Amino acid sequence: MNLSYKRIACALVLAIAAAWAIASAQNVAAAIHFSYRPIGFRLDSCETPRRHAPETMAGGLAIFDSNNDGYPDIFFTNGADIESLKKTSPKYSNRLFQNDGKGHFTDVTEKTGLAGTGFDNAVAVGDYDNDGWEDLFVGGVHGNHLYHNDHGVFTDVTAKAGLAAAPDPEYGPLWSVGAAWVDVNNDGLLDLLVVNYLAWNLESDPACEAAPGKLDYCHPKFYKPTPNQLFLNNGDGTFRDVSAESGIRAHPGKGMGVGLADYDLDGRMDFFITNDKMYNSFFHNKGGVRFEEIAFNAGVALAEDGKFISGMGVDFRDVDNDGLPDIVFAALDNETFPFFRNLGKGGFVDATRSSGMARQTMAMAGYSPTIADFDNDGLKDVFVTRGHVQALGEAKVLIDQPNTVFRNVGGAKFVALTEESGLSAQPAARHRGSAVGDLDGDGRLDVVTSALSAPAEVWLNDSPGHAHWLELKLEGTASNRDGIGARIKVTAGALTQYEQVSFVAGYGSASARPAHFGLGAAATAVVEIRWPSGTVQELRNVAVDRVVHVKEPGVK
Amino acid sequence: MLALALATTQVWAANPEAVAEAARGTALAREGKYDLAIQHYQAALKLDAHLPGLYLNLGLAYFKSQRLQEAAGAFEEAVRADSGNFQARALLGMSYYGCARYGAAAAQLKLASDAQPANTELRYTLAQSYLWSGQNAEAEAQFRILLLKDPESAPVHILLGEVLDASNRVEAATAEFEAAVKASRVPPDAHFGLGYLYWKQQRFAEASHEFEAELAGDPQHAQALTYLGDAEMHLEKEKSAEAHLRSALKLNANLRLANLDLGIVLADRSASAEAARCFQAAIRIDPSQSDAHYRLGRLWSSMGREKEAQEEFEKVKQLAAAQPPPPLIKLPGRPAK
Repeated sequence: MNLSYKRIACALVLAIAAAWAIASAQNVAAAIHFSYRPIGFRLDSCETPRRHAPETMAGGLAIFDSNNDGYPDIFFTNGADIESLKKTSPKYSNRLFQNDGKGHFTDVTEKTGLAGTGFDNAVAVGDYDNDGWEDLFVGGVHGNHLYHNDHGVFTDVTAKAGLAAAPDPEYGPLWSVGAAWVDVNNDGLLDLLVVNYLAWNLESDPACEAAPGKLDYCHPKFYKPTPNQLFLNNGDGTFRDVSAESGIRAHPGKGMGVGLADYDLDGRMDFFITNDKMYNSFFHNKGGVRFEEIAFNAGVALAEDGKFISGMGVDFRDVDNDGLPDIVFAALDNETFPFFRNLGKGGFVDATRSSGMARQTMAMAGYSPTIADFDNDGLKDVFVTRGHVQALGEAKVLIDQPNTVFRNVGGAKFVALTEESGLSAQPAARHRGSAVGDLDGDGRLDVVTSALSAPAEVWLNDSPGHAHWLELKLEGTASNRDGIGARIKVTAGALTQYEQVSFVAGYGSASARPAHFGLGAAATAVVEIRWPSGTVQELRNVAVDRVVHVKEPGVK
Repeated sequence: MLALALATTQVWAANPEAVAEAARGTALAREGKYDLAIQHYQAALKLDAHLPGLYLNLGLAYFKSQRLQEAAGAFEEAVRADSGNFQARALLGMSYYGCARYGAAAAQLKLASDAQPANTELRYTLAQSYLWSGQNAEAEAQFRILLLKDPESAPVHILLGEVLDASNRVEAATAEFEAAVKASRVPPDAHFGLGYLYWKQQRFAEASHEFEAELAGDPQHAQALTYLGDAEMHLEKEKSAEAHLRSALKLNANLRLANLDLGIVLADRSASAEAARCFQAAIRIDPSQSDAHYRLGRLWSSMGREKEAQEEFEKVKQLAAAQPPPPLIKLPGRPAK
């Protein structure tokens, strides 16, 4: 008899990991710990049994100082009635919560004018008019909004700014799930990059069965890609659409997340955009508001197996302290959370396997990764909101998942901490957006997350130890006032680390915080800042455990 | 099965010449001269196609000669002549099984097994017919009955494990393979099968252990060497992985995964030329897999061979565009409500 089980020897099927197979490392102490604090917001995407695509994509949020009191506040985007795409009920209201400085929050939505009107997805924070008050761009389904901040009160200036776009003549109405403020031409004015997902409309939305009679969200393949958009700041409160002339429009995708960094240290900010089941896009800033798409040549188009994965949110920061920003993005189960290390020669190497991320994330589904140093040891960690895009579970698909923080243990290796870090204290959920900031002023970075049809979560960082830290709040003069694009080098003790200022975070979110550096045992630091203007500024003997306001030398 | 089936032709009021031919055929079959026996049975058929038992014995002769399609044809006639002949039905099922007609085999073997519930061999073949025809629930039920009779049977545990794996119940499948390797006599491939299931679940350390156990019994097991190397790559033991992958390829140069993985290891340590040869070999073995194209493209790019790199990237794009449809079933567009 032919022993039938020899058949399996021929199988070359990619691994299907059981959820329980992925264990966090047992021998590494949980140096990062969070405690849950509730906040009065519940993300409502109008989830219906029909499962329209936008219903599973909501949830961007921002941490930023809305009223310049020095304390980071929290802004949540929210959904709307799926048929009208209008906020027909207060339950769909966007919400702004002001911080008392100790991590306690008060809802100030109404008086600040941020309730919103449409089905909102994403938020980008940036002081586009350099008046010292952070403004908000809110992207959504078939409608975006620019809110100008005037002493903590926001006014919708979308039309006045020239951002109230009519439907795209070629692609129809666009659906923004991500956005970023960035000075693409270093003229001191923040420009606006808008990441659009796919071509969706209610009337022609396909229905997809996960099982007989049970509808679930359709695969992105059923929808056409759409182009991203770049708006150049005219400096007078208006913007000019340069999507086509910049080369951005020529590469439509199914954008999910955007990371900003000057990857080749040429002084110009580049964009990495994850696409859902398509090649990622990587736009190299060539100067003169021209971009070249180089994802394949840079080695970031696909994960290492060359197959499409569900690229979700992304962060683009230097993880291994070599001064070169690296890329981490989230994806779904059986896809891993890829980690691309920047080699500094114009390309990246896929370090997902060697970093331990492949093994630990194979069973996970995630949305929003944020790179930050949560234990102040000088090594940036990665916090990832987890949860599936689908609503119905198959045998091995976990829909609701806890969040996980991946601790950077050095050598470009990560250890997943979920239970150990306290993040399973709340019920698993379909988590979506996330942002990072020191909400209670204790020098440890906290995290806020959203989840579909579930309460938002504030995770206050109460990690053990007393490592030192330093935060730098930049104020550009010749450069954009937020200092976005500034390259910061901090040397403290034996460790040198780097940060490029960018507020965009994870999935549809923004962490508009001072640049944060964990310093371990070091009691002083040397700081070097390369401003987008080209100015280099050095600060010596900087005292630690405080927020330092740094103004760009020279006058605009 | 054949022991109970080589029956003497029952002779009723029949053509005497046909009876004589059939008898000569049976005598030859008993001597193992099946080809000659078939000639006499065929001669008998021409004289009297209704001679009782003739098709059964003709089928048996074919069966013993490994002429399974012809055997099935003869047994079909035997069953048509006597639908209550469960011996013929069992043999028909066995013939179908031998022709890889598993669904048809299962249908015949089920009837035969119901008539002879104590016949373990029949049930075993029935269970496998269910397994290979994708009738997993039925296969599982039959294998579980077999395990009631012999709870220590390693082959049955393994086959039940296959059924469960085919049903995406990988943890239960793993438990069956784990039971199989605890048997006093562990069949070949049992450790490999268990290792493969661990590998599927990303349990690479346990997978490595099982692949090593398989190799202890069969050092020439090229697949075990390949998967051991792959598991070691995931465990970041590149040196050991490289050695195992090279050993696998010495045994069988046509292992795609071994070529791909060895290329990855070599590319990681900048042995670019040899890495490229490995990726090219992986592509030759299966050009429809985009991973080797992508890796080769990345490698060419790192070597400054941009033209070749772009060619590989183009192939990746073409393959990606041709990816199979997604798992969800698209229904016709319809109004939102």
